[in-house]
Amino acid sequence: MSAAIEASGLAFGYRRRPVGTDFSLVIEAGEVLCLLGPNGSGKTTLFKTLLGLLPPQGGTVRILGRALANWTRTAFARHVGYVPQAHAGLFPFRVEDVVLMGRTARIGRFDVPSRHDHQVAAECLAMLGIAHLLKRDYTEISGGERQLALIARALAQEPKLLVMDEPTASLDFGNQIRVLEQIDALRDQGMAVLMSTHQPEHARRVADRIALLDGGRLLAVGLPQDMAAAPRLAALYGVTASAVRACLTGVAARPGARTSSSAPAGPERIERSHAP
Amino acid sequence: MKRRAVLRALSGAPFLRGALPFLTAFSAGASVEASAASTIAAAFGHLPAPESIRRVFAGGPPASTLIAVLAPEKLMGWPWNVSAEARAWLPPAVRDLPQVGRLAGRGSTMSSEILLQLRPDLILDVGTVDATYISSMRRVTEQTGLPCVLMHGGLADYPAQLREAGRMLGVAARGEQLAVWAETTLALAARVRAAVPPGSRPRIYYARGAAGLETGLDGSINMETIECAGGRNVAAETGQRGGIVKVSLEQVFAWNPAVILTQDAEFARRVLVDPLWRPLEAVRTRRVYLAPTRPFGWLDVPPSVNRLIGVRWLLARLYPEHPLVAAAPDLHTSATAFHRLFYGVEPGADALDALLEGPT
Amino acid sequence: MSAPLRNDAVFWLASCCALVVLLLFAFAVGKFPIAPGDLLRALFSRLSGTISGLPEAVDTVVWNIRLPRIMAGLVVGAVLAAAGAAYQGMFRNPLVSPDILGVSAGAGLGATLGIYLGLSLVFVQIAAFIGGLAAVACVYYVASLVQRHDPVLVLVLAGVALGTLLGAGISLIKILSDPYTQLPTITFWLLGGLNAVTPDDLAVTAPLMLAGLVPMFLLRWRVNLLGLADDEAATLGIAVDRLRLILVTAATLSTAAAVSLAGIVGWVGLVIPHVARLLVGPDFRRLLPASLLLGAGFLVTTDTLARTVAAIELPLGILTAVVGAPFFLWLLARSGRLS
Repeated sequence: MSAAIEASGLAFGYRRRPVGTDFSLVIEAGEVLCLLGPNGSGKTTLFKTLLGLLPPQGGTVRILGRALANWTRTAFARHVGYVPQAHAGLFPFRVEDVVLMGRTARIGRFDVPSRHDHQVAAECLAMLGIAHLLKRDYTEISGGERQLALIARALAQEPKLLVMDEPTASLDFGNQIRVLEQIDALRDQGMAVLMSTHQPEHARRVADRIALLDGGRLLAVGLPQDMAAAPRLAALYGVTASAVRACLTGVAARPGARTSSSAPAGPERIERSHAP
Repeated sequence: MKRRAVLRALSGAPFLRGALPFLTAFSAGASVEASAASTIAAAFGHLPAPESIRRVFAGGPPASTLIAVLAPEKLMGWPWNVSAEARAWLPPAVRDLPQVGRLAGRGSTMSSEILLQLRPDLILDVGTVDATYISSMRRVTEQTGLPCVLMHGGLADYPAQLREAGRMLGVAARGEQLAVWAETTLALAARVRAAVPPGSRPRIYYARGAAGLETGLDGSINMETIECAGGRNVAAETGQRGGIVKVSLEQVFAWNPAVILTQDAEFARRVLVDPLWRPLEAVRTRRVYLAPTRPFGWLDVPPSVNRLIGVRWLLARLYPEHPLVAAAPDLHTSATAFHRLFYGVEPGADALDALLEGPT
Repeated sequence: MSAPLRNDAVFWLASCCALVVLLLFAFAVGKFPIAPGDLLRALFSRLSGTISGLPEAVDTVVWNIRLPRIMAGLVVGAVLAAAGAAYQGMFRNPLVSPDILGVSAGAGLGATLGIYLGLSLVFVQIAAFIGGLAAVACVYYVASLVQRHDPVLVLVLAGVALGTLLGAGISLIKILSDPYTQLPTITFWLLGGLNAVTPDDLAVTAPLMLAGLVPMFLLRWRVNLLGLADDEAATLGIAVDRLRLILVTAATLSTAAAVSLAGIVGWVGLVIPHVARLLVGPDFRRLLPASLLLGAGFLVTTDTLARTVAAIELPLGILTAVVGAPFFLWLLARSGRLS
């Protein structure tokens, strides 16, 4: 069985502005790979290139065993689902219609969604726990619910590979957990997932492998415990390792910070002063 | 100047005739009266003596016609596009004059600088006059220092116009001559009107444009010739006064005119064979008359002294057997005399016949 | 709350019935007085193939004057509204009308030029049609030369710029035209109207107008995806540029034919899709038929008013704004939402 994504010596960028070179990566089916990297590291450009929206400037990319150039738009959409960051819609489409848009690649050119398509859409929403949003307007629901709807849309494409751009960005803690669990479940069903995130702890939670990207170059790929170790992250993001540790484990790093055994802490005082 | 009137008319504003404030600003040396019966609406600047006027600039098409018939050698240019066919029917002095711009307030296509360069002795404009137009002409005088005279008046005022303009331009005798011809024709029309009560006058639809679905409402300057010659404008039956309007064919059917007049040759040809127009009474009785347009429209376009022969022509078409019309010199003779007298051209018999032929 | 009528079969049935009633009413009124009995006799006789025995004038008015005019109103209104709906979805902007790419300005220039040159009516219409198509083709070509992030924005800007240029051309010709004969004709043409529609006109332009609707209907599901960002839509499996080109071509074909028949009738393409969207939502599967019905009904109503309400014939373009604007404002106030 061919790999989901097989990039080899890939150079990517825009016509007058090359962004990345010599990018080689393999993602297999049933694997979750998280991409970590600072802002401006070229993640978006890389995703666009892998999705066939930007022509590669060098090297090769094979998606599900077929070279990128040999995929037609429609066939590609039947195998690869893309989840962008949730955006506010302009027109008040219903969530059901938004998810149905994912079925387009499986609908004939002049046809409209069938009963089966509606069923699939409803199932995708149910899978993400937002079946109750079926008839709601996309413009009226919260940012997190929109993100889940977009994930449902990608699932409606019945893809084998899912490319997700910061899927937990606008979600509350609970929804973040739900999405990560969903990604787990999808991986168990054999889906290949490539996702980017700005949250290393999410990457540690869900990824089989983590890739570090900076300046358009792949710095390292490996197991989460190695890649998401404090020193590597510190080097990647240009902060100190102790700061990384403190952020990831939640221990205050400020000098002179109190611990629980000291005098009544600020929060308690505040709490009392809030009493009516 | 006409364009401004047309634009106003298109918005349905009532046509103002004669109910205008007379604004005059004379300086010493002006020799034109400004009585209430005068056709001079306003004059600005220092008016030169009639004998010393050699070059006159016409502000718009009606003025150019007036000057061309009175004193062709003094006309400086045509403020509109006169076709080559039309020029063949004009006196040699004006036949090859260039096309120049128009003075029409903001719609002027003539710049003040060019006006100064041309150095006319006088700027003359004729047509509908309102406060806006008067003030814009005053501005021309202020900018250029050239004297401007605005004249107004409809068909019935043409004798007075010809006389006053003739005096002003130093061709009083000629002006008198033309005025007498005008008076004769207008008197004939008046006698016919007196003899035929309004109820018996033929109902006429004046079709403008190639589609024939534009016409003039009651009081429109374009319909004057028709009313003068003893016709009844069907559009007046709407009760609305104004200028040119669009109509639908259904409206024409509702009117069912006895006569259809037009100046558009293509429309005249088409209307007799088009099945859509066939049920109309005018078409069934073939009372569709194409008015000649050489050198200028006999009914209309421009609405100036060129219409005098149109009155005579229409009388011949509407009342061919009426004793008053039959007693007058026949149309062919009148037309020849008109062209000879007004335009100084000798139209050949064949040319005139072709002109007077109907749309067959 | 969301649009209440999306799946309501009753809504569709009621709309169709309302349209039919409107048509019958439009048939029954007009400047030429026809008794209702005579009207029915004329209808029956034509349908059953017998002679009606009515005066020729009545037959001509009913079949050759009113019928083509009403049919023209139906088709022009439907087509302009559908084109507006497609454009608003395509350009992701509820304030866009079919004129945005310059089709009306181009058609206006073509017609104005034709009238100025003294061409016969048929050629004026052809000039208008070609002018409309040429203008949009120019805009598309210019936009294709610009390689920028947002092709939609480039199209709109190019359309606005070219439209302004063409409008200046129209104004120039108006200044140069004969003020007694050409200028009134040009002015009336630019204000829009159906008073000169003959059966021949309709026979030629109706197929063109309806032809443009066919791609819109066939692609009614995919149009929805054009409301997404280009990249996003591409990942869902559609060829965005090609789809946009097909829709623009179809909408332009219909609109150019409509403008060549009826002159420049604004407002219908802008506001009717809005109203339709307020009623049935933005899904083009429902928005298209709703726009067609509402646009047809609106224009037939306005044209009927234009030819009966005043002693003279009122220009259609003015009337659509005068009738449409207050109604739209009222609807807006009631629903409290723009799209």
